[in-house]
Amino acid sequence: MNMPEEMSATPGFTALMAKLQPLIDGGRPENIVDLLSLVSDIADLLDTAMVEKLAQLFESGTAATWTVSNAVRLAQAEISAQSAAPGTLALLKLLNEEDTRKGVAVVLKTLNVIGRQL
Amino acid sequence: MSKRIVIVGGGVGGTMLANQLVGKLYPEVLRGDVSITLLSSSPDHYYKPAFMYVAFSQFFEEELKRPERSLLRPEISFHVEDVTRFDFSGQQLRTRTGKRFDYDFLVIATGCVPAPERIEGLQEAGDHFYQYLPARQLAQRLNTIEKGRIFITVSFPQTPNVPHQCGIAPVETTLMLDDLLRRRGVREQVEIIYTYPTVAQLLRNCLFLQRPTGEILPSIFARKNIQFQRGFTLSHVDPDAKIAYSIEGDAQPFDILMATPPIQAVEVVRGCGISHAANDEGWLPTNHETLQVYGLENVYVIGDTVDLPVSKAGGACHNQAPVIANNITAQIRLGAPNSVYDGRVQAVAQMGLNAGMPLWYDYAHDVLPTPPTKLGGLLRNGFNRGLYWAVARGML
Repeated sequence: MNMPEEMSATPGFTALMAKLQPLIDGGRPENIVDLLSLVSDIADLLDTAMVEKLAQLFESGTAATWTVSNAVRLAQAEISAQSAAPGTLALLKLLNEEDTRKGVAVVLKTLNVIGRQL
Repeated sequence: MSKRIVIVGGGVGGTMLANQLVGKLYPEVLRGDVSITLLSSSPDHYYKPAFMYVAFSQFFEEELKRPERSLLRPEISFHVEDVTRFDFSGQQLRTRTGKRFDYDFLVIATGCVPAPERIEGLQEAGDHFYQYLPARQLAQRLNTIEKGRIFITVSFPQTPNVPHQCGIAPVETTLMLDDLLRRRGVREQVEIIYTYPTVAQLLRNCLFLQRPTGEILPSIFARKNIQFQRGFTLSHVDPDAKIAYSIEGDAQPFDILMATPPIQAVEVVRGCGISHAANDEGWLPTNHETLQVYGLENVYVIGDTVDLPVSKAGGACHNQAPVIANNITAQIRLGAPNSVYDGRVQAVAQMGLNAGMPLWYDYAHDVLPTPPTKLGGLLRNGFNRGLYWAVARGML
């Protein structure tokens, strides 16, 4: 490699080349070039429509995960804060709450939709 | 006694701040020592920057909104209420339905609204892309123009050193317009004239509100055969003759007047008696570091309603929300705010229909423009379609 003398003589360059030399001897930089080529191929393949679909997939995944993890975290914290486990009557009262019934309906409907696709 | 935090406004600033506050104050929220309430006049949250894309037929309305409740953590109490009065001394809000909300900490996140009616003739003859319906109207005009003259104007608030909405938007839309007309095959028959007013915050006779970006615009515009003119401060418009007049004494004909119109704070903020802004624009006097409202105890402001020299855009809210969340948390736990906003704003500018340019700046540094790229455009598209909603949920 022909480098300007002032650059190739710097301690930093010499140290870097000493680290890289075994990799160069083993032909490893070819992998780096291949990787750059792969990244470039992906950039060429990506278009607006594909990015839109990937972004929607990202939103669907993160929104569902976020919603479920928020619910689990809050429910766990609220139940943990109680000094004793809720009694059967308390559970029945909880089941009768509007928000619980909506949540149960979502779970049942989810199973229903899964069944519809089988 | 429980501390009540009330956020007014369900835009991106209020939404991400509410979610971040829950995370910061989670132990207090679980114990019932802190409650977080968000009031919004709409049950839906709109991704406002997408209105710009609506004008270029790139977004459907259904794609740019989500139910606000779906963007909020379950610990947040959400009410669709239109706040009609702030009673700062009584630490209370009143709403159009007659309800009252008491607060210990208040965050005003009500944004700003376009006010084309502030310029004579602009509402009748001009178009803009800062709301859905005006953007749709502009889209219809841009999709049917075959020849003529599209004249672009930018109006700044009259309050000194306060920018118009989303600083880069006029440049973005000018370049998108050029691309759209080329795609339609009518670019040769349509003149595009980009203008900028004489006074742009602290600069004079420029093409953009920051010098480094303003200096590269002439070469970008020249390559695309976009004409540009400094020193055109829109004064009034003759809708019948289709002529835009400037304060500097110029008169320019147009077929489409694509304007960045004057803006103002929402009515309840303008009427709250706290603003010192010129021309009844309503910007709240904001501590540029803590983001507290000067003269009021435990009241913060985020986003477009501030009187700071930073962009009125989501990229500003993204950096202001953590500061306010920290400061309210510190006030509750330690008795005083502890975080400072450095004026940082970041975004990916849409430089034409396909190219993007990531940018950032703060109080001390201007944007250093880089060449727009295809990857930048894809990044912006990915943000518009997916990443934004994670940002609003406080995940990013």
